[in-house]
Amino acid sequence: MESVGGWHPGHALLQLFLCQMLGLYTGWNPVSSTSLNNTVSSSVCGSCELSCCQEFWRFLLGLCLSRASASVLNLNCSLILLPMCRTLLAYLRGSQKVPSRRTRRLLDKSRTFHITCGVTICIFSGVHVAAHLVNALNFSVNYSEDFVELNAARYRDEDPRKLLFTTVPGLTGVCMVVVLFLMITASTYAIRVSNYDIFWYTHNLFFVFYMLLMLHVSGGLLKYQTNLDTHSPGCINLNRTSSQNISLPEYFSEHFHEPFPEGFSKSEEFTQNTFVKICVEEPRFQANFPQTWLWISGPLCLYCAERLYRYIRSNKPVTIISVISHPSDVMEIRMVKENFKARPGQYIILHCPSVSALENHPFTLTMCPTETKATFGVHLKIVGDWTERFRDLLLPPPSQDSEILPFIQSRNYPKLYIDGPFGSPFEESLNYEVSLCVAGGIGVTPFASILNTLLDDWKPYKLRRLYFIWVCRDIQSFCWFADLLCVLHNKFWQENRPDYVNIQLYLSRTDGIQIIGEKYHILNSRLFIGRPRWKLLFDEIAKCNRGKTVGVFCCGPNSLSKTLHKLSNQNNSYGTRFEYNKESFS
Amino acid sequence: MGQIEWAMWANEQALASGLILITGGIVATAGHFTQWYFGAYSIVAGVFVCLLEYPRGKRKKGSTMERCGQKYMTAVVKLFGPLTRNYYIRAVLHLLLSVPAGFLLATILGTACLAIASGIYLLEMNSTHSQESVFLGSPLNPCSSVSPQTPACRNAWELLGGCRPRWAAVRGEQWTPIEPKPRERPHVGGTIKQPPSNPPPRPPAEARKKPSEEAEAAEGPSAGPQDNPIPVTDEIV
Repeated sequence: MESVGGWHPGHALLQLFLCQMLGLYTGWNPVSSTSLNNTVSSSVCGSCELSCCQEFWRFLLGLCLSRASASVLNLNCSLILLPMCRTLLAYLRGSQKVPSRRTRRLLDKSRTFHITCGVTICIFSGVHVAAHLVNALNFSVNYSEDFVELNAARYRDEDPRKLLFTTVPGLTGVCMVVVLFLMITASTYAIRVSNYDIFWYTHNLFFVFYMLLMLHVSGGLLKYQTNLDTHSPGCINLNRTSSQNISLPEYFSEHFHEPFPEGFSKSEEFTQNTFVKICVEEPRFQANFPQTWLWISGPLCLYCAERLYRYIRSNKPVTIISVISHPSDVMEIRMVKENFKARPGQYIILHCPSVSALENHPFTLTMCPTETKATFGVHLKIVGDWTERFRDLLLPPPSQDSEILPFIQSRNYPKLYIDGPFGSPFEESLNYEVSLCVAGGIGVTPFASILNTLLDDWKPYKLRRLYFIWVCRDIQSFCWFADLLCVLHNKFWQENRPDYVNIQLYLSRTDGIQIIGEKYHILNSRLFIGRPRWKLLFDEIAKCNRGKTVGVFCCGPNSLSKTLHKLSNQNNSYGTRFEYNKESFS
Repeated sequence: MGQIEWAMWANEQALASGLILITGGIVATAGHFTQWYFGAYSIVAGVFVCLLEYPRGKRKKGSTMERCGQKYMTAVVKLFGPLTRNYYIRAVLHLLLSVPAGFLLATILGTACLAIASGIYLLEMNSTHSQESVFLGSPLNPCSSVSPQTPACRNAWELLGGCRPRWAAVRGEQWTPIEPKPRERPHVGGTIKQPPSNPPPRPPAEARKKPSEEAEAAEGPSAGPQDNPIPVTDEIV
């Protein structure tokens, strides 16, 4: 199914369907269920008929809406945690248990699914709050003296605001709304792009939200009757002094014109056979078991287990082997860690307490550990205060008055912790027969790890042809991986597979130097000035790979991503199918 | 903990609170609650807050995403000058606006949200002011006579180990409108100059003469057809 702008319609539809089903089921269930129906009716309307009782319907509507929205909220609060179990998703992506590519592509949409659940929670919380405010009003106005246990209010006409703030469900509900408000206002796209810290710190309040949710449902507002057999709904209570106090024989003589065959001794038998029963004892109510605990305990435990596992795994610091400075503000760090395994295309999260105690930053691996070599590496672009401080700690700026050469200085690298590796859609590029990889600037990093893997050994993978297109603004940027590209090219020529990797480099800025370096003949001859013409490229690739499925991968600015996505979804006359795999960064 | 701009978050919160106030107010007036006039007030206050907070202020560093169509409201908000620029005034205004809506059940949520937004604006103001006065040496601040590196003035986050206080980098506690950058017209004719009107300067007289004499002398050996160093005979067999 086509996805427009990252929003997969399939997910939204599925959500909507599930929500509606659950909502309808639980919301309208009270209407069909006789116990709640009759209890409410008898407490509100006495003996009047149901159909003309407006207040009854208002009561019921408030209760139905709040129960229906509560069910939807149960479902979403449990589902929203699952896409965030990143280690689990990385494991699923790499394991043999998920053979279908379609299923793996669903994993790419995990963040979008999380956002969908979040928005649904937001909407239905609004409905739930509104419905409960109406209920609070109704509970206080329609206080029932007949069924004292069923009342939420403690006395008639209790101020609904008191109900809100002094009961456990009310108070936890208010706190949850405040927490949700803080989380949602900090999760907008503008805040995530400009001040990621605010988003991250407020989003960690979700734990408080879940604890409050557990307390919220333990208030025991909804009750069910435990002695339905001895006190059925609508039964006549002989001991009451209400308007239903009619003596039994008169009642029967009014309604049944048949004479009693044997007098009053048969009256008890007779009552058992008729539809009207006599209440034997007072109704007893018990609070429903909170269903929410069942819904959210599973995913919450899973998520907590995963966080614990990640914490234990990342507790050991890595050993930094070397730090290399590249042109255009890029720094490469090579390190080793015991028992660290990663697939090409995955990313890790770096944490350096000397730079910042609370911040973590994700970086894609540019070199993965192999069987022969345990070193892995990342390339970082220095933009922002964290990376600047990190660079200052690792590569101290050369001081003019110092006569000591840099490599003689004792290497006191700060302690660095890594979390991961986590999966990304770029891992899939080795599983297509033909792949088109487009990189914009520093977005080349996931593809660098792919190229390093191919340099190591290309035969185990399904990939047979790779189109590698790298667009940069600055000519110096190509130096980051110029050596890798040249070595890879030479290797494939030696092995008589010259068409395996097709490299095209584009320099989008047309003024300035237009040669990478004198020793990089291979790259200079594949360097184009100006932006790529995507339509022509796609046509060429389609023509050369007729009838095949080409995987399209893009790591770069959003506009580039959108263009490629649009082109991938267009049909061509050669029967080639382009499958676009999207990565989202913010 | 870098340079967090709380003002942006407060802006989002205030906008959301305005919408919640409007919704609550509509529910209250449409449902004919007792004291429905609070609902009507809440609608008006909500609309005012939304209009005030719609134009997003410019960030100190980096580009800011504009909300769509905000340039019209920017022009209006700019008119009020310091009243809308200063975040203290905004914080106090939001606090005052939120109080009357707290009396009605339907709008109590809007009150809470707007009060939180006001609190975040105050947080932004307090953080920038305390650090500014340290460096500018205002007499109100007891730290002013001491250098910023002493423990008394350090930010509490320092205790978490290693991260330096970055509130100092947040300057400017005001709302600045996002102005569209004036488009620079490319000066097409800028590099094209008129051709020179004078001929190029001639070399001095001696330089002019010498090449012509040399040319006459050099012409001798090279004049005429090819000169063979070894006599070549045409052998006809």
